[in-house]
Amino acid sequence: MKLLIVDDSSVVRRAIERDLESGEITEVDQAATGEDAVRLYGAKLHDVVTLDITMPGMDGLTCLDKIIEINPEARVLIISALRDKATAIDAIKRGASGFLCKPINPPELREAFQLLIED
Amino acid sequence: MNDRDIQVFIACVQRYFESLKRDVTVVIEPPFIKDEEKPFLEYTGIIGISGKAHGAVCFTANGVMLESILSFLKEAPIDRNLICDLVGEIANTLSGNAREEFGRDFLISVPIVSTGKNVGFKFPPDCRNYVIPIIWQGEKAYLLVCLS
Repeated sequence: MKLLIVDDSSVVRRAIERDLESGEITEVDQAATGEDAVRLYGAKLHDVVTLDITMPGMDGLTCLDKIIEINPEARVLIISALRDKATAIDAIKRGASGFLCKPINPPELREAFQLLIED
Repeated sequence: MNDRDIQVFIACVQRYFESLKRDVTVVIEPPFIKDEEKPFLEYTGIIGISGKAHGAVCFTANGVMLESILSFLKEAPIDRNLICDLVGEIANTLSGNAREEFGRDFLISVPIVSTGKNVGFKFPPDCRNYVIPIIWQGEKAYLLVCLS
């Protein structure tokens, strides 16, 4: 299983990678910008993407649109500090499979990931 | 800004530090107003705010506290880049979480990170500076809320 972690913070990217470490994941890519994420996703079509929203350059919601354009069945879990309902609803309407708020709660993250891959 | 708005940020601080280590209490001292000379520590993450409010939210801390947080997050080795990354991410998390109360029109920028006492950010002159003192594992940090 291929995982793509998108966040402008390297601390967050590494924390997510450590939290999701399991035998099911065979390959992990990381991207610090939306632009890099779209390029990487287009090349590898990862099974799951975790995606931040507030990033320099292309924001996460625009990145989500582009990933969904490439693959309407993409499984994208938003992990964002933006804790308002409107943003979460917007992300789901645009094709996100789930929405988690920062600060990251590792058991919640693992559960959301498990639900995504079982889907 | 009023007392209720400041309570929103206090709740965000509480949530953040509790997420790190439930058995370590975070102490949040009574907020105060300090319009002159903001109490910046060694590292500061600044989030510009626009939309519903204007100004900035800053999280400022010394390296010791930030290194403790990174250790808790199992980061090793710890370097200055990681510390800067973390202080920006904390500022981002605290500001973004405040949208639960302030809504989607409370627009937050990506973090700007500054080191040392002289922070090169233009704070709006018409804003009051609310300072929320935070003590975690014996180390002090501040959340500065400077909003109109």
